[in-house]
Amino acid sequence: MKILIIEDEIELLIAISNFLTKEKFICELAENFRKADEKLSIYEYDVVLLDITLPDGNGLSLLQSIKKQQRRAGVIIISAKNSLDDKIHGLDLGADDYITKPFHLSELNSRIKAVLRRKKFDGSDIIRFNEISLNTESKTVIVKDKELALTKKEYDLLQFFLINKNRVMTKEAIAEHLWEDNIDLADSFDFIYTHLNNIRRKIKQAGGADYIKTIYGMGYKFSQ
Amino acid sequence: MKFLTRINRNYLILFALIMAGVTVTGYSILHVIIMREAKEKLLSKEYLIEKQIGNTGEIPNLHPIIEVQKTAGNELIKPSFRKVVIKNELENENETFLEYSNEIKINDSYYLIKLRQSAFENEDLVLILALTLFTLLASAFIISFFVTKRMNKTVWADFEHNLHEIESFSLSANSNISLIKSDTEEFERLNRVVTELTDKLKSDYLLQKEFTENASHEIQTPLSIALLNLEEILQHDLKEETFQKAATVISALKRLSGLNQSLILLSKIENKQFEANRSVSLKEIITRKLDEFSVLLETKALEVKVKIEQDFQIKLNEHLAELLINNLLSNAVNHNIRGGRISILMTGASLKICNTGEDNSLTNETIFNRFVTGNPKSYGLGLAIVRKICETHDMEINYYNDELHCFVLRTKL
Repeated sequence: MKILIIEDEIELLIAISNFLTKEKFICELAENFRKADEKLSIYEYDVVLLDITLPDGNGLSLLQSIKKQQRRAGVIIISAKNSLDDKIHGLDLGADDYITKPFHLSELNSRIKAVLRRKKFDGSDIIRFNEISLNTESKTVIVKDKELALTKKEYDLLQFFLINKNRVMTKEAIAEHLWEDNIDLADSFDFIYTHLNNIRRKIKQAGGADYIKTIYGMGYKFSQ
Repeated sequence: MKFLTRINRNYLILFALIMAGVTVTGYSILHVIIMREAKEKLLSKEYLIEKQIGNTGEIPNLHPIIEVQKTAGNELIKPSFRKVVIKNELENENETFLEYSNEIKINDSYYLIKLRQSAFENEDLVLILALTLFTLLASAFIISFFVTKRMNKTVWADFEHNLHEIESFSLSANSNISLIKSDTEEFERLNRVVTELTDKLKSDYLLQKEFTENASHEIQTPLSIALLNLEEILQHDLKEETFQKAATVISALKRLSGLNQSLILLSKIENKQFEANRSVSLKEIITRKLDEFSVLLETKALEVKVKIEQDFQIKLNEHLAELLINNLLSNAVNHNIRGGRISILMTGASLKICNTGEDNSLTNETIFNRFVTGNPKSYGLGLAIVRKICETHDMEINYYNDELHCFVLRTKL
């Protein structure tokens, strides 16, 4: 899978591309409008990550040319502006998703995978991990031929873990994925335990193993 | 009161006073003049009678107008005027007369002369004159009143239009104000000032908007860089202490970023950057939010009682309405105790959310202030945002602590 990352902050560009390379994506980088425009006219991409505030041009006009030149590509807007207008405008212009800075790499990963799935680039609706098999089309999880009775949030959380397997995630990243910024998370992350315990119990009841590891009480990792 | 109504009312009051004043003084002056005239006439008559007696020795008598009597001349009557009432035999009724009496000496004989003139004539004359004066003044006034009223209407029409234009001016709608040019110098001056002011407001507004957006961008970007790199550090095999330190830094940075976003949000609400195009149903939002909160409620073992008598609809931006309910519910959950209660009561014009919780010293005056919090983990901005939304949208939010902590939201009357 080929990804073009358009971002004017070099530090951010490097952090994102390092992460995505580890996730087995082929990354190309553009730190300004001119370079991005040039690359878009020569190569084809599966996903374009687009920062809309560029020093030498408006990212939104770039979005229009992407939609004209590269119909296949999925576009995810990266913006520092948590502005509803921008979000609606961007999605109207044909962006597939919109993510606000600061974001977690696990969240970015999950959004990219979702776009790829929607565009049918992945070829398969099934995400497998040992005895666990998750169907993104029907939103069901099967463990050892038994379908788990998961709530919507539990399914979301399990899918998030499977997409970001072997990655340590903080409670903040998980909470944000589940609730976006809808809930003022002042109190605690107690409810993540509730969710995780429910998932663990349901997988165990179906005869599966517990792959959700707690890291020093502050993070989680889904791994062997 | 409308400007023109006020002017007209003042005009009427002023007119009534002037009319009363002019009529009373006019009447008195006329009265004095006419009385003096009458007295002069009587005196000149006296002179004529004196002459006639002197020349011919004839004593004229014409009751009741002229009465002359020969007297002994020892009574010494001084010339004087007075009012007398004399019975008119013809009409058989009393009549008032102005009487002049004097004793004069002609050819060594003394005569008492009494001359009278009907006072009635004089009074009538005064009244007729005063009435004429009054009628003339009144008609002049009435004509001028209606003429000015008409003229005012045309002159003030442009002003009315411009006023309406200014009233409907909205910064966030990004529309230009279009004022009608006026021939009246003062109105034109007003138009110029208003146009200058709105232009200034608009540029300030845009600057402020730009600033908040830029501030957001400038702060979020370095935060992003720090957070992304810290998260990558977490992926390494770390010792517990190192891991916890890195995770603590991530939480702190997240808090900073949340704080920044909340402050920007507050200033956006203050700037009225959220347009409300239609009414939203709070019932719908609260039902959806309660569903989203269900896990949180379960985790804290909270019992929720919802009573919706009627849907509470308000004209509010949908995003802000969500935020409003979200913050109120978050507050009720965050500051609740384990196994506590939340009760929600909605009527057509109010929403009350009550929750159990520990006692605190916060009051209706302090609880909505920025950075005031009963819980060290919260930013203390959630309720400030709630109040800001209410303030900018004709709503009221009040807090009271009466066994339960209650927040009451209602539209301003």
